[in-house]
Amino acid sequence: MRRLIAVAAVVSAILGLAACGESEQVIVYKQGKYQGKPDGKPWEGEPLLVTDAKWTKGDKASWEERIKQRNQGQNEYKRIYQQ
Amino acid sequence: MARMKFLCDAERCIECNGCVTACKSEHEVPWGVNRRRVVTINDGVPGEKSISVACMHCSDAPCMAVCPVDCFYRTDDGVVLHDKDLCIGCGYCFYACPFGAPQFPQAGAFGLRGKMDKCTFCNGGPEEDRSAVEFQKYGRNRLAEGKLPACAEMCSTKALLGGDGDVIADIYRERVFKRGKGSEVWGWGTAYGPGKPGAAPAPAAGAKS
Amino acid sequence: MLLTRKASSQASPQLRLSRGVAGAMAKTIDRRAFLKRSGLGFGAGAVAAQLPFNIIERAEAAADAPGGKIEVKRTVCTHCSVGCAIDAVVQNGVWVRQEPVFDSPLNLGAHCAKGASVREHGITHDSHRLKEPMKLEGGKWKAIGWDQAYTEISDKLQKIKKESGPDALFVVGSSKHNNEQAYLLRKWVSLWGTNNCDHQARICHSTTVAGVANTWGYGAMTNSYNDEQNSKSLLFLGSNAAEAHPVSMLHTLHAKENGCKVIVADPRFTRTAARADKYVRFRSGTDIPLIFGVLHHIFKNGWEDKEYIKARVHGMDKIKEEVMSKWTPDKVTEATGTPEADVYEMAKILAENRPGFIIWAMGQTQHTNGNAIVRASCILMLALGNVGRSGGGANIYRGHDNVQGATDVGPNPDSLPGYYGIIPGAWAHWARVWNVDLKWLQGQFAPGMMTKPGITVSRWIDAVMEKNEAIDQDSNLRAMIYWGHAPNSQSRGPEMLEAMKKMDLMVVIDPYPSATAAMFAMARKDGAYLLPAATQFECSGSATASNRSIQWREKVIDPVFNSRTDHMIMYQLAGKLGFAEQLVGKKDGKQTIKLVKGKGGMDEPNVEDILREINAGTWTIGYTGQSPERLQAHMRNMHVFDVKTLRAKGGKDAKTGYDLTGDYFGLPWPCYGNAALKHPGTPNLYDPSKHVMDGGGNFRANFGVERDGVSLLAEDGSHSKGADITTGYPEFDHVLMKKLGWWDDLTDEEKKEAEGKNWKTDLSGGIQRVVLKVHGCHPFGNAKARAVVWNFPDGVPLHREPLFSPRADMIDKYPTHDDVKTLWRLPTLFKTVQQKYKDAGKQFPLVLTSGRLVEYEGGGEETRSNPWLAELMQDNFVEINPKAAADRGIRNGEYVWVSSPSGAKLKVKAMVTERVGADTVFIPFHFSGWWQGQDMLPYYPDGAAPIVRGEAVNTATTYGYDRVTLMQETKTTLCQVAKFV
Repeated sequence: MRRLIAVAAVVSAILGLAACGESEQVIVYKQGKYQGKPDGKPWEGEPLLVTDAKWTKGDKASWEERIKQRNQGQNEYKRIYQQ
Repeated sequence: MARMKFLCDAERCIECNGCVTACKSEHEVPWGVNRRRVVTINDGVPGEKSISVACMHCSDAPCMAVCPVDCFYRTDDGVVLHDKDLCIGCGYCFYACPFGAPQFPQAGAFGLRGKMDKCTFCNGGPEEDRSAVEFQKYGRNRLAEGKLPACAEMCSTKALLGGDGDVIADIYRERVFKRGKGSEVWGWGTAYGPGKPGAAPAPAAGAKS
Repeated sequence: MLLTRKASSQASPQLRLSRGVAGAMAKTIDRRAFLKRSGLGFGAGAVAAQLPFNIIERAEAAADAPGGKIEVKRTVCTHCSVGCAIDAVVQNGVWVRQEPVFDSPLNLGAHCAKGASVREHGITHDSHRLKEPMKLEGGKWKAIGWDQAYTEISDKLQKIKKESGPDALFVVGSSKHNNEQAYLLRKWVSLWGTNNCDHQARICHSTTVAGVANTWGYGAMTNSYNDEQNSKSLLFLGSNAAEAHPVSMLHTLHAKENGCKVIVADPRFTRTAARADKYVRFRSGTDIPLIFGVLHHIFKNGWEDKEYIKARVHGMDKIKEEVMSKWTPDKVTEATGTPEADVYEMAKILAENRPGFIIWAMGQTQHTNGNAIVRASCILMLALGNVGRSGGGANIYRGHDNVQGATDVGPNPDSLPGYYGIIPGAWAHWARVWNVDLKWLQGQFAPGMMTKPGITVSRWIDAVMEKNEAIDQDSNLRAMIYWGHAPNSQSRGPEMLEAMKKMDLMVVIDPYPSATAAMFAMARKDGAYLLPAATQFECSGSATASNRSIQWREKVIDPVFNSRTDHMIMYQLAGKLGFAEQLVGKKDGKQTIKLVKGKGGMDEPNVEDILREINAGTWTIGYTGQSPERLQAHMRNMHVFDVKTLRAKGGKDAKTGYDLTGDYFGLPWPCYGNAALKHPGTPNLYDPSKHVMDGGGNFRANFGVERDGVSLLAEDGSHSKGADITTGYPEFDHVLMKKLGWWDDLTDEEKKEAEGKNWKTDLSGGIQRVVLKVHGCHPFGNAKARAVVWNFPDGVPLHREPLFSPRADMIDKYPTHDDVKTLWRLPTLFKTVQQKYKDAGKQFPLVLTSGRLVEYEGGGEETRSNPWLAELMQDNFVEINPKAAADRGIRNGEYVWVSSPSGAKLKVKAMVTERVGADTVFIPFHFSGWWQGQDMLPYYPDGAAPIVRGEAVNTATTYGYDRVTLMQETKTTLCQVAKFV
């Protein structure tokens, strides 16, 4: 926790810096733009066989629907009052 | 659009560390690397409260802001991830992060001065989803399996919520409504900015008794 | 205003939040921060080198890699009695993932640190398991083959039996065995010819079982964790559920959220207390004064449920007399140190918020008068009218995952499966069920010993060390089998070490036998064997959760390394000892338990057949309706069971077509009659608001029908819903059936079997069927609960000071029992010890108490071998109040010596915290591997030492046993803490 305080202080210092120095801090890379490899989207794969997961491959909306439904596992009110 | 968030309900968290070992098991995270931790305030005295902390996948992430090689990216669902091939292990993100989320393995696959490792919201990293190489570098990709982070899914008291921000806000709002208090939950500010969840009354400052 | 866009503005919300939290956090130091700062000799860096990322490689590939055969096995966590379901994902025989089971009505997918980490059991890389059978030879552990081990062990056992009789052997079984293995072990011990067997229940809830069963019928938790959602108040007295049963807190906190009041009374401000509405501190060991102090206010204000007491409770007047005369508020405060206002508020909350539970675990049970403390708790609930209904009762949290089941059907020294006692009639009953010749069985025992309760695990060391003429069996103990039990969970460690020096043979059968092994190797150069057993993830079988629900585990993986399942080892050892056929019930062309091929194609008893045999004989507590088929159907259809009632409103099992309608999850015992009767199980015991075929009931008639001219049966009008008999009635046997004219409701077949029998011994189940189904009555009768248990030493619970008390003045006022010449075959001291150490408080002024940590379980070798858990808690420690620490010049985090009146001393780290009062210190009990400052690492078999080792608190705990059950006193003793020099 001592570290957390230190971190908080450092972060505010960084903020301070940010406040007065708007210019680029890194020259080579374009600040704020991801330079790494591209990543796939979670809904681009097939649902796994071993789960009850169902969505249409590549269909973001159906994947989101699936995630929303799965999320209810964290809500015991849903399980308790399901019937 | 789904926007992935964590939220820890301090009224429920009992510091059991289920979230911590769920993470360890799911991603086979080595000894000494803690993608998730439980922090307790006022330990052993009235007012004791615990919260589970990992990368909060900030909407406005300081790690991203300071990274000298710009290895961070935010997915369409609001998960903050990074490319370990690009990471130089400088540790700047660690200083920037208010939660102490970035971890640096001392030994293992990346040599003595490891590359940064952190909570991925169980969403892997920039490798083929659910591939062996993604698992080895970043851990499991549960989102691509249609599941949510193991820590939140296994929380002993369902204190730690993780998922679509709108859904967990609804779950949490129902509890606050039942309790009639307690909007000062850990993570709310990060997830939703200043303001109060639902119709909850104004929070008291600091730790409650 | 995004940081990533370099916007300058005020601090973002997370910064404000983190500053607030960081500021608050600076005020205190938590357990983990404490350990992080403690500068471990066993550094994280050193370990990281052993446990690198490359454990990933062993998992070979991600779970959905092509070609791998993926299966999901449903199992249950093995680390506490909540019964959390787990879906284990297995690929090519390797356990690769673990998924939450949101459908489970017990845990709803939730896990604590232990449950979330059970997959580690399947990881063979860097495993700390025992991998081969081993033998101690010349002070070194040497790997040997199974055959050699069996031959040498059985030769030695036969020799000892020949020289000293069968009672020279003691077998400690396990609460981590599944029901079938626990049951088979009791049978195994019986066939060997002794009652010298026991298991963890002795030292965790034996006083509960005795005290509670004698109060109202059964010794188990009355309701379920789930049922707390239906209650208005919860009193935790002697339970730290947040650490010991974390997932139960899901139900507790849900209840609290919905208005239930939570009170925690404990010498420590536990993590459970931190989540309560009210916390009350009291002096360790003064539970009865506190409970009776609460009762005083209840009686004084007329808050007791008079109607309920009149109809359903016997002897409450005597309790009231005792409470009103002896436990006035001044006396209560004098004993407990708790202000009257707190006690009054407890009473008021409980009275105004009914129904409610009292919840306890080892905080109440592990005392020299534990049997009386638990009865006082029952009495409090009876006075409030809380027992026998939904939302109220005595929720007694069991410890191990199957300690309830092992108590019900496993190795107990004074009973056969189902609490049948060891009387001749019970032996005859079980010999029939076992298909074993009774005469032969009697011949296995030493004369007169078959009906004499055996030695207890708490005191096996005395059976080795005591003078032969003082013990109540021919020979002292010479051989010992530790079969899934830790040595460091028993008190008086140094004396155990001495006992080990005198033994002829020590056999340890365990996946992690290292604590016993290391201790033995420290004392001896030879005389011990270690056999690697498989875990419950490597076999199938049923386990009974604390709420009496029985769950079926599917086998996840094959036994790893050279380990074998416990039931295979039992069968193979029985073969060497000459009773394999009896073990599987082979006689007269019949065989009750078939053999199936287990590991390596070797024969082992069929687990489902063992359960069927349990079903065939365990009528007393209704283990008869839980057929393997029904249990398995429940596991496949968890989603149909309601969380608040545990009941299935409907549903059909797709695989078998079994109709789940009306069943309670896991068919919580009693589930009377045979499976065909389709009794749904009993979610809440003694609940007359429901028909007996809906899980209703009433208090048991087990103590006669009258006492001193007063009827013990329930009053007119007090009966379970729809019963043909609307008043109290005794238990059913063939005579009563005939008298009532119910005999002809039996079929001819049933009549043949039921003639001369009672509801407990009629193997046809006809008596139970007719009484329950046809007449809506309860087979065990309908009586009153007993507030006064006259067959116990203190019929009315009395406060008695612990043997080692810091208060000499209180010893004078509330002295302990007189010494007993023979108790469970051993002389047992009370007054002698208390008087000898009456002034020990001067030299050892601090009360030493012990308890659980969330990361570890029991003796801890298994969980301390799991890197994901071990990392969280790397040192043993003593919690000490800032005042006590300052007075001794002790600083947080440094090593200290904790010494006790027994002369033992422990080297542990000081954790300075207000969690304990200035007169009390606390040490968790999960550690072993250090011995009074010395690391025992050299004495472990290679590669089988746990990752984290530490000083065992029970090296320092002192003499002291419950007057009824010989439960050891580990919750109140004395110590001194000094700087480490």
